[in-house]
Amino acid sequence: MPEQTTRNTPSRLILTESERESARSNEPTRHGLTSERADSTPSEAARGLRIGVCGPVGTGKSSLIALLCRELSADLEIGVVTNDIYTDEDARFLRSAGVLDPARIRAVETGACPHTAIRDDVTANLIAVEELEEEFAPLDVVLVESGGDNLTATFSPALVDTQIFLIDVAGGGDVARKGGPGIERADLLVVNKTDLAPYVGVDPVAMVSDAGSVREGRPVIALSRTDPASVEALVTWVRSELTRHRGGALVPADPGPMAPHFHAVGTSHTHEHDHQHA
Amino acid sequence: MSDDLLMMLLADARLPVAGHTQSGQLEAAVRSGLTADQVPVFMRSRLASVVRVEAGTAVVALHRLRAGLPLEPVLDAWAARTPAAPMRDTSRTLGRALLRLVRRLFPDSTHVAEVAGLKRPCRPLVLAAAAATGGIAPTSLGRLVAYDDLQTVASASLKLLPLDPLDATSWVHDLLPEAERLATGVAPLTEPHHIPAPSAPQLDLWAQTHAHTTRRLFSA
Ligand SMILES: Nc1nc2c(ncn2[C@@H]2O[C@H](COP(=O)(O)OP(=O)(O)OP(=O)(O)O)[C@@H](O)[C@H]2O)c(=O)[nH]1
Ligand SMILES: [Mg+2]
Repeated sequence: MPEQTTRNTPSRLILTESERESARSNEPTRHGLTSERADSTPSEAARGLRIGVCGPVGTGKSSLIALLCRELSADLEIGVVTNDIYTDEDARFLRSAGVLDPARIRAVETGACPHTAIRDDVTANLIAVEELEEEFAPLDVVLVESGGDNLTATFSPALVDTQIFLIDVAGGGDVARKGGPGIERADLLVVNKTDLAPYVGVDPVAMVSDAGSVREGRPVIALSRTDPASVEALVTWVRSELTRHRGGALVPADPGPMAPHFHAVGTSHTHEHDHQHA
Repeated sequence: MSDDLLMMLLADARLPVAGHTQSGQLEAAVRSGLTADQVPVFMRSRLASVVRVEAGTAVVALHRLRAGLPLEPVLDAWAARTPAAPMRDTSRTLGRALLRLVRRLFPDSTHVAEVAGLKRPCRPLVLAAAAATGGIAPTSLGRLVAYDDLQTVASASLKLLPLDPLDATSWVHDLLPEAERLATGVAPLTEPHHIPAPSAPQLDLWAQTHAHTTRRLFSA
């Protein structure tokens, strides 16, 4: 019977030969997940780079994605998956921004569980990413926007290769110092909307330095869409992640949901290994 | 080993198979005026219609996998009994989601490989492959399909309506005998034309409307 496809349930769900092939092999990959993770491609470096963008509501995730599409789409093939609470607000925003073919922007419903959809059950997002990769092959980059959630939400390494965590100056100068998994350990922290700093009484330089002190050297960018140098810094970071991914040197690092705790000697770690607390 | 533990694993809401994206048309029903106290009736009407089709499909597929018979006629029979295109799409997407998991759990299963080789298998076929591999009996498979549907709607109802979670779970509990009746009813089926063909036009309409609304929480 003719299959009438609906806007949000794309018709291409056919497994490719390589998918079936990769399903049969169950070799551990370099980050300890099995090859099932790279479901639709035999090699992870051969598929596009998957970048997660998360952070609290309204910090500028969709705007940052629109900015990247504008800056990169001349020479890179891009797809976008959005997870807004009410499904397609973000997708509509991005479609109306006119920076990417609307067919390359897909909205995923999370059943009011935005945190689950990027962390403990990434299936719906992975399927959306794979479908974009199949339909518009070869894609260089797929950007996944999380539904705006709290400060503890970060992406599972099973979904993205690298992730950007956004906060903004309007959220207050203390946010960076308070920390949290995304602020401390996302691959890139963006302190957004620095153009607003004078109006909200926040010193962006202090905010970035606070963030730097909890991030143990991981990069921080103070961004404003009105500041071309900061936009350039962001684009440079994305390109360098892409280069690392293609070279096989990018190993997804999990910021984790756990706060590290501090020992008397001042070293910190998360509970990845078992140990007894005295 | 009894099939109990595998059943529990497959029925667990924490299974990473995108279950949290589904409301079983409840979101569309609520949008069109369904109230909290009508949810149990809604659940029962699903058991009497779409769930019987899904459970019957799963059981017939299980029989044919074990007997080495082709599955395409089962997929066709299921599609013919699932007239709303968005419902077929949803079941196929959920089939793809479940396939990710069962391929990991049973990498050497010929049953799983056979279902994976079909063009867009629906969810009951993937479940049947897991059941055939894990030694789950037809009645148990029917129970699994029915139970999963009850819990899907119950859990979505908590997101959509002002409810006490204890109420939602007690509705599921109260409908267990109905689920059991469904499971024993479909368990002996072996042929695609045996699959029940009830109709629930209101559910079909809700599924179709929902596929075209924006601002939805659930995929279907
Ligand atoms: N002044 C200023 N405003 C910005 C900047 N970037 C984004 N905004 C504004 O911040 C608001 C929120 O931006 P979005 O991109 O929608 O934020 P979001 O994080 O995607 O929001 P949710 O998806 O709702 O969580 C919008 O009004 C943007 O125009 C910036 O660099 N400077
Ligand atoms: Mg957004």
